[in-house]
Amino acid sequence: MSALVEIERGTESLLAQPPYGVDPEQRRSALLALLKKNLGYACDRNRQFRNYVEHWPIDFRVADAIADLPYLPVSVFKANPPLALVGVSDVKRTLTSSATTGQVPSRVVLDAATGRRMAKGVITIIRDFIGPARRPYLVIDTPENLAAQAELGARGAAIQALGSFATEVVSCLRPGQERDSSLDLEKLLACAAKWKHSEVLVYGFTHVIWTRLVQPLQREGITLDLPNVRVLHSGGWKRLEQQAVTRDVFTRGVASLFGCSANRIIDYYGMVENVGVIYPDCDHGNKHVPAFADIIVRNPLTLAPVEAGQQGLIQVCSVLPTSFPGFLLLTEDMAQVIDYDGCPCGRRGISFRFAGRAPKAEVRGCGNLEHTRYRLGQGSEVA
Amino acid sequence: MSDLIQAVDSPQKIACAARQLRETAQHKEITPRMVLEVFDQWAAALDNRELHEVPGVTFLSLWLRRGNLEPIVLRELGPNSLNGGWREDGHARLRAFPLGLIGHWPAGNIEIQPVLSLTCALLGGNGCLVRLPSSLVEITRRLMEKLQEVDRTGSLTERIFMASFDHSRIDLHQAMAQAVDGAMIWGGAEAVSQVRGLPFPHWARVVVFGPRLSAAAMDAETWGNKTERSSWCRRIARDVWQFDQQACSSPQTLFLERGDGCDPAEFVEDLKQAFEEENRQHPRQQIEPALTSAITLARASWLLGNDGNRALFPASPDWTILLGTGAEMPPPTQGRTLSVLVVDDLLKVISTFDGTLQTLGLGIKDARKEEMLALAAGRSGVDRVVKLGRMHVFGSPWDGAELIRSMVRLVRHVPSQD
Repeated sequence: MSALVEIERGTESLLAQPPYGVDPEQRRSALLALLKKNLGYACDRNRQFRNYVEHWPIDFRVADAIADLPYLPVSVFKANPPLALVGVSDVKRTLTSSATTGQVPSRVVLDAATGRRMAKGVITIIRDFIGPARRPYLVIDTPENLAAQAELGARGAAIQALGSFATEVVSCLRPGQERDSSLDLEKLLACAAKWKHSEVLVYGFTHVIWTRLVQPLQREGITLDLPNVRVLHSGGWKRLEQQAVTRDVFTRGVASLFGCSANRIIDYYGMVENVGVIYPDCDHGNKHVPAFADIIVRNPLTLAPVEAGQQGLIQVCSVLPTSFPGFLLLTEDMAQVIDYDGCPCGRRGISFRFAGRAPKAEVRGCGNLEHTRYRLGQGSEVA
Repeated sequence: MSDLIQAVDSPQKIACAARQLRETAQHKEITPRMVLEVFDQWAAALDNRELHEVPGVTFLSLWLRRGNLEPIVLRELGPNSLNGGWREDGHARLRAFPLGLIGHWPAGNIEIQPVLSLTCALLGGNGCLVRLPSSLVEITRRLMEKLQEVDRTGSLTERIFMASFDHSRIDLHQAMAQAVDGAMIWGGAEAVSQVRGLPFPHWARVVVFGPRLSAAAMDAETWGNKTERSSWCRRIARDVWQFDQQACSSPQTLFLERGDGCDPAEFVEDLKQAFEEENRQHPRQQIEPALTSAITLARASWLLGNDGNRALFPASPDWTILLGTGAEMPPPTQGRTLSVLVVDDLLKVISTFDGTLQTLGLGIKDARKEEMLALAAGRSGVDRVVKLGRMHVFGSPWDGAELIRSMVRLVRHVPSQD
């Protein structure tokens, strides 16, 4: 049996389990075995990746903990061409992260199999939070992010990942100039009237929901009266924090707009490099990890896993990708481990809370050339 | 004991302190000899067990000794300058006078830099207005308390005011700049550019010690010598560890000249041991998460970028050795990440340096060869060429500029009786 077939079977088996019902030790043991297979497969497919793994201080083949396996910093996916385990002809889609002006976005390539697993992963997770039923899907974004594209941004990927729960999809923003957009109020009100008594799924980036939906409607004094709505949102809080909008203000604002209870507003953490895995908040405000993935929160000083209650850098682990080496990725985000098991919501395994992007060092001294690119023989160039 | 360090929140407070300092500098003359006397006692007071954990304090104590500073004063200000008098210069006479009030903007990553910066200005008889980064307030307070203990007459402390305020308070930076006659600015590109752009008076003499990088180089006779190699590796580790490799004088890359029968893999094994030992003696107490990310990215980028590259590192971010070939210096990561590059010809590599390089640490067997390398380095813009293990030994000139000379005006008097 080929390595890829073994990985496929192992992954399918994990995807078939209740995502949050497996005993943490059993889950870790199954994941460890499968992640080792993923690493071995990736080493066979990519010489550079093998070079990296061979220099890791611990031989992954004899490691007895996921935390000891070689992980990549997530920024390696900013390289061009993207780090891949498949040939160009096998790439069905490229996902790009959202990057602010001047930043280089990450790019990960998906082949058909990884794309399939990604869809299954998201469905498995979301089903646990909102139930399996298909329902009308309101997208707080512009229509172009609904279209199938060979290269898809983070917003488009998040929107399309929820498509399996939709009976119909409506986007309620109109594209404007320079990536600006505005609310199509007429369309929105028509949907609200039509879906008044239905279960409805709503998704949008956190700051888009606030600035393009909540604020304009609050100004007009309009509410939507959709009490059975489930509003999922992601994309981070940085922009809203700059406007002094707290989570509480956001949640109350959105709930008040839709006329629903606050626990129907679900924030989730996710990143394109961690395809097929997202981390929604449970009713107790904690995030959880499904059976086919894991989270390790590492102390920045030692890179060792932290104890419950402590903060550190988030490492995401997943068995879903085989088209790029994204099984074990150290992110630049911080989280606090709430506990390693026993969240009152009943979901098993680690529970954690997102604590924002790791702050950049304020001052790095006279040896820091910052924006200066240095190349011997070519002088220094200020970017 | 009055507090030399004060939290400042208004431009008026800075203007008031500046007025007092300038008055003192103008009306209470102090000679280099008097300053050296207090410094010598300060050096002794700093050689104290309770301060040993302050990074760089041992060096500061040595720097302040009379035996170290007196020759620098004499070289920069001339013979007989210790008593502050006139000296003959042909038909004329020369005498050093203070610029007046010097503003200091030290970098936030070098614990002893606020003190080092002001010593140069004090030797010139100036008043000192120091902007203290918040990260250095407590350490600087402990160092300055020792000065207050020995400076019983207050001849130096009355010339110093250290202002602690947030780096974003442009109004306070501006107030400082407007009040001074000279400035010493240290730090990274962004910080230095911001301070340089402040409204200094047109007469102010502004000395900038901006961002630079440093490198090290060894010939095959040195790094290939198995008996002496560990000692050289310990020296390199010391240079890398000090200031957590964030100083302009910190080596980011070590160039090894290729030699017959010399195996770079063996050398980096010795270097690894030296790094491990240095880490045992001086473990990191804290780290910015962003630096941890940068270190892990440097390791991965190096090994993924070329499958011929090698690397040694522990599971923690404590240290990293990246081994490869080629003359192109990788972007500096800092955080005890040293690139070791094997090259065919050191002279060729050094000849391609530019003014970005501040210090070149050398380990060269043959003195004549070293002379050629030093000459090439000087021509290429390098300001300091020193033995490995001494890359951070602060001295004058620094960045190619004299430290005390830049803090005085040399007044020329041609007598009218001639």
